[in-house]
Amino acid sequence: MQSVVERVLNLLIFLLETPRPVTADEIRHTVLGYGEQSDEAFHRMFERDKDVLRRLGVPLKMEALDAWEVDFGYNVDPAEYALADPDLTSEERVALSVAARMVRLGGAPSGVEALLKLGGVERAVGLEPLGADLGPGSELLGALFGAVTERRSVTLHYRGRPRSLNPYGLAHRRGHWYLVGAGEEGERIFRVDRIERLSVGGDAFGFEKPKDFDIRRAVATQPWEAGHDPLIEAEVRFAPEVAWWAARTLGLPVPEEDLVARVPVANRDAFVGWVLSFGEHAVVSSPPEMRSEIRERVLAAMEGLE
Amino acid sequence: MTSARTVDRLSRILALIPYVLERDGAELVDVLERFGYTEAQLARDLDTVFVCGLPGYGPGDLMEAYIDEDEVIIDAAEYFTRAPRLTPGETLGLLAAGITAMEMGLSSPALASAVAKLSDLVVPDAGQTLSVDVAEGSGQASALKEAAASHSVVRITYRSVGREETTTREIEPWTVFTTLGRWYVTGHCRLVDDQRTFRVDRIKAMEILEETFTPPSDVPEPRAAYTPSPDDLSCVIDLKPAARWVLEYYPVEVLRESSRTTRIRFSSPDAEVPGRLLLRLGPDARLVEGPEVAARTREIGEALLAAYGAP
Repeated sequence: MQSVVERVLNLLIFLLETPRPVTADEIRHTVLGYGEQSDEAFHRMFERDKDVLRRLGVPLKMEALDAWEVDFGYNVDPAEYALADPDLTSEERVALSVAARMVRLGGAPSGVEALLKLGGVERAVGLEPLGADLGPGSELLGALFGAVTERRSVTLHYRGRPRSLNPYGLAHRRGHWYLVGAGEEGERIFRVDRIERLSVGGDAFGFEKPKDFDIRRAVATQPWEAGHDPLIEAEVRFAPEVAWWAARTLGLPVPEEDLVARVPVANRDAFVGWVLSFGEHAVVSSPPEMRSEIRERVLAAMEGLE
Repeated sequence: MTSARTVDRLSRILALIPYVLERDGAELVDVLERFGYTEAQLARDLDTVFVCGLPGYGPGDLMEAYIDEDEVIIDAAEYFTRAPRLTPGETLGLLAAGITAMEMGLSSPALASAVAKLSDLVVPDAGQTLSVDVAEGSGQASALKEAAASHSVVRITYRSVGREETTTREIEPWTVFTTLGRWYVTGHCRLVDDQRTFRVDRIKAMEILEETFTPPSDVPEPRAAYTPSPDDLSCVIDLKPAARWVLEYYPVEVLRESSRTTRIRFSSPDAEVPGRLLLRLGPDARLVEGPEVAARTREIGEALLAAYGAP
């Protein structure tokens, strides 16, 4: 019995070496390991093997061989298959491997496998202690990064409705990944883990990104800066018990006693939530609308107690 | 579904072949170290390569692959002169790791040039396209990292997460790390004589002492999550969809879930945290059970109403 590894290697060699697209039927009768299967078993096997090739990064192309799209041919272009080698020096590979071992994405060291494709690392380094965990990660994140770098437009389902947009960049903030892109409503931010469905369409390099776009400016640092409410400035007084902590969050010098801070707010809901997390130790003094908003919220919460 | 092990094996083989081909044979020890192989694993993979090749599959169609004393030989595999391209996900993983390490202050000229070379391949202006922000403003995380490296005992003034009170304690810091957007230090806490994890942003003041400690030979994986204790207060809260984010931020137990309401059990050492949470959620949550929490919520609520003026 032939192993999956052998079969996939033979399949890949056949696809790389045949200059024209080949049909599934040709593959079945030519590549070692498929021959003796029933129709159904072959199709299951072939689907699985195509999935393996995709996970390895092999650019498998499928095209219709006739105008009626009855027969499809498969092909791998050797030029597309080949790694674009960044020609890292051995010092650079070691530095990258140390970084890859202390940063986790999707629960696993980030990029250690990919380093093998770049030639591996000569001085083996043990697993570093966890330095940074960049969250769950996902296939979606990789697909989005591909769309961003190849400038392909995407359609994503977000909060129950589809949106078409040109993806500009990805950012990791406060433990979450965010996508910034422009669609009908202009530039918008989407939390990647809340994207329900994604389809990448469009041609490579199909849109131009504004020259002055900078992901670091597009994604705010504080949750209340990331919003679409009219920008206002709120004034808050923090009692001495919590003033040091609020100052640290806001990036202000830590005060001796209490702290009066003026904070730009573009997402009122997020800001009011943050202020209320200090309980009675933080009080908004202006604007008056925000004061009444907080009063309403507290009253609603107290009604919920009965 | 094919197992991840199969994919990993293939991935390593497809990286190994071009490496050996390029050098017309490679040193065995170098290959073992570079690709993380044991000799038995390498022999098995070479045996697999040896029986694969072009249709016909006769002796002249197959690749050659074997270990000759201290050398690895692969031949007749010109279709694999190059490794497969990086997938976007792999490039992202490597770039994100490099950028994060640099953000954490572990930059070196080699790392910076590696990141620059990688990003040049995919996107000319990577700095404007991909950003990872793990900065910690106070500088305490780096001070703690230094203390962990030099095995220095640290005295911290700490505001507990579950219980809104401030204590001073001595800790033996083992590791400093960031997850879900927050920085933590994990180590031995002398106050409770046990392993504890502290949020760096809740350390009000810290002092690195002259005293040193011996770290455990095998530092346990840090636990960032709050572990409920049997003495905890517990209450039951109904969340509306707008308040569902609570599930991501607090270690709660989901009791019942429908499209309109999520019923959770919230455990904490005192009533302060759930009380403030209820006030923050306003109309989006309702306390179902928990008299102590109700009482404390009312107290804070009254104080807030006094500060904001009665309607």
